[in-house]
Amino acid sequence: MASIPMVDTVTGPSMSELWKTRRDKSRFQWSSLGLLTPAFALLIILFLVPMGFAVYLGLTNLTLVGPTAVKWGYTGTQNLLRLKSDTSFWSSLWATGIFIVGSIAGVVVVGYVLASLLMRARPWMRMIVGGIVVVAWMMPAVTAGMTWYASTTGGGAFATLLGTPNTNFLDNNPLLVVTIASVWSMTGFAMLVMGAALRNIPSEAIEAATVENASSWQRFRMIILPLLRPTMTAIVLLTGLLALANFSLIYIMTQGGPGNATNILPLYSYQQAFTYNNLAYGALIGNVMVVIATIFGVFYVRITARRL
Amino acid sequence: MKAFWRGALPRVIAGTAIIAMSTATLASGGVTQAGAAPKVTISVAYAANTTFDTTPLGLTWWTSVKAQYEKLYPNVTVNLIAVQGGEPDFLTKLALDYHTASTAPTLAQFPSTEIALYQSTGYLMSLSPFLKNSTWFAQYPKVIQDEGLIGGKIYAVSSGENNVGLYYDKAILRKAGIPLPWQPKNWAQIISAAEKIKAAEPKIIPLWVDAGTSAGPNGAGYGILNLLAGSSTPTIQTSSGKMVVGSKGLLQTLNFFHTMFSKGLGAPTSQLFSPNNAPNIPSADFKAGTLGIAVGANFLAGNWTKQVSFPYWPQASTAMGIAGLPKINGGGYASTLSGWDYGISSGATGAQATAAFNFMNVAQGQTNLINAGNWAGWVPPVQSDWNVPLYTNFAAPFNKEFGLLLPSSSELPTSANYSVWVQGIEEASGTLASKPSTTGAQAMSQMASFITNQLSSSEVTTLP
Repeated sequence: MASIPMVDTVTGPSMSELWKTRRDKSRFQWSSLGLLTPAFALLIILFLVPMGFAVYLGLTNLTLVGPTAVKWGYTGTQNLLRLKSDTSFWSSLWATGIFIVGSIAGVVVVGYVLASLLMRARPWMRMIVGGIVVVAWMMPAVTAGMTWYASTTGGGAFATLLGTPNTNFLDNNPLLVVTIASVWSMTGFAMLVMGAALRNIPSEAIEAATVENASSWQRFRMIILPLLRPTMTAIVLLTGLLALANFSLIYIMTQGGPGNATNILPLYSYQQAFTYNNLAYGALIGNVMVVIATIFGVFYVRITARRL
Repeated sequence: MKAFWRGALPRVIAGTAIIAMSTATLASGGVTQAGAAPKVTISVAYAANTTFDTTPLGLTWWTSVKAQYEKLYPNVTVNLIAVQGGEPDFLTKLALDYHTASTAPTLAQFPSTEIALYQSTGYLMSLSPFLKNSTWFAQYPKVIQDEGLIGGKIYAVSSGENNVGLYYDKAILRKAGIPLPWQPKNWAQIISAAEKIKAAEPKIIPLWVDAGTSAGPNGAGYGILNLLAGSSTPTIQTSSGKMVVGSKGLLQTLNFFHTMFSKGLGAPTSQLFSPNNAPNIPSADFKAGTLGIAVGANFLAGNWTKQVSFPYWPQASTAMGIAGLPKINGGGYASTLSGWDYGISSGATGAQATAAFNFMNVAQGQTNLINAGNWAGWVPPVQSDWNVPLYTNFAAPFNKEFGLLLPSSSELPTSANYSVWVQGIEEASGTLASKPSTTGAQAMSQMASFITNQLSSSEVTTLP
């Protein structure tokens, strides 16, 4: 039986040195290339090639119908210059920013409040409230959109309950209402994740702070928030990405209107491609969304990598 | 029209039963004898949920025409392609189908506003050689014949037209002290009547004119563009192809909207901006007694028939009145004209093109054409049909009146830039509805800014 070399705990390398040594060693093996090839090929075929083609399309004059639907070609920076001076695009980008930031803020705050309240609630109440919030999260965007449309227009549930049946909340404050609907539809996810994270906070730390006369705000700021930060970071980034891609909810509720009040980038891209027949320009706006999503993705990868 | 949102399960069941019966009739008719002529297959694409007033009525009509055709031409097989969805969905799917030769339908029915786009793409074949000896086409009024005329050739022919008039509730107008029958001479008299209604019946909607973008490009055709057609400068696109973003007529039109909404005479935005089939809402409002006057399309009257039932209101024939929409200062009526047209794919073989045109011949037969008109809410394009009882007895007396108003109507432009322009004017009308303090000049400026931004300054113009 081969003997297992023992590490001298007194004179041998420390654990940190061991980790450092291992990390410094090159772990590349040529045989891994063969194993990675299928995945790499799939990545190229299913992601990089279509992405590259979409980037190229954004620099052409392709239309859905019309002479350039058949005979189309590369037009250089023409679409980029148009994008630069397209005031509708910039107002759409602004609306997108407000929608994303509003969605993130709402989801994080409401998700945390619900999660912490449910921690203290009776089990039966936790089940009911948690169940309702999760159902809202799992509800298809079409159903959620129709529900919020019916609730917030004149004669809808909110206006009737408030005793002003003719008030049209959706038309009066369109971006606010669709952002609230977005928060409503994504809070269940945040509540579940934050609930799990809150349960993992050691009660000893909270109790010790209480003994030291720390106020509830101090306990939140000094103990809970730092321990929740990784979870919150993940929620912020995922909510941001989901909000960026949230086409269905707004399309059903307002179709981007009234005017262009809720015309966020996914809707503007669709409008250009299929309402105005400008497929190439629509693709270019889609590429802008990919850039924004990539920025979110890079932040997410960097932050999660830092924690490993 | 626009039956996409209606609860249609019972009608689907009924439609399925009709298809089953049609198929059984066809089979028992013994039409399967193969002639000496070579076998030909054609595909016919149509919008399953948007052209006819209900989906089952459309299904019944198309399957009936197919059965009649295949009985006459047993060597030809017709594949009906029922494209599901609303009108924007249909247009997107049809454009994508045309893009590939193997999926391009031999024959398709599409809105008249798409003709120039499809023709300029090279999707459509000239129908002029086929139409030389056509008896039905010769009976079209010139304005409808020219609907598909591009560069001296005809690329599409109308299967039915929508035009617009003024509907009014007789009881409400009587209560407001307005003499009947009501026929305003100019726009000022329309506003005046709406004000009297508001004074007599504060809780009802005095005047409905479509506004906003929720009904898609057609919404403007049923609403604001009819007023523009009656303004002092009705031009939308100049002969050089430039889109008009400023004119006296545009300002007059937007000012009418400003007056209507700032005085609280217009419909609420909850109805105007409803994604749920907004142009058809007046039919239900009139039946409920909550609407005085509406600038509405001919299909509103068809909604009250038993066949359509959206809603069924047999008393409408006596309770409701119809008048022509006057021009701004009188001197006749104005209305937009937009239809659904047939076009044959440029990729069709000679035999397929002949077969497709023969299919059109069957579809344009008098009974089929009038049934399509009645069930889809169209005025038939053949002028003599406007006095046929099958047409005049349906949605009486409105169908006949809309036939009489049709010669006063003018076609909407058909070009790629029109889709942008119409979005601009719909957004401007929506702003006037949602923010009544907005002036007509401000709305026109907003519209000009949007359209110029989307197109380019070289593609727009202003007129005096």
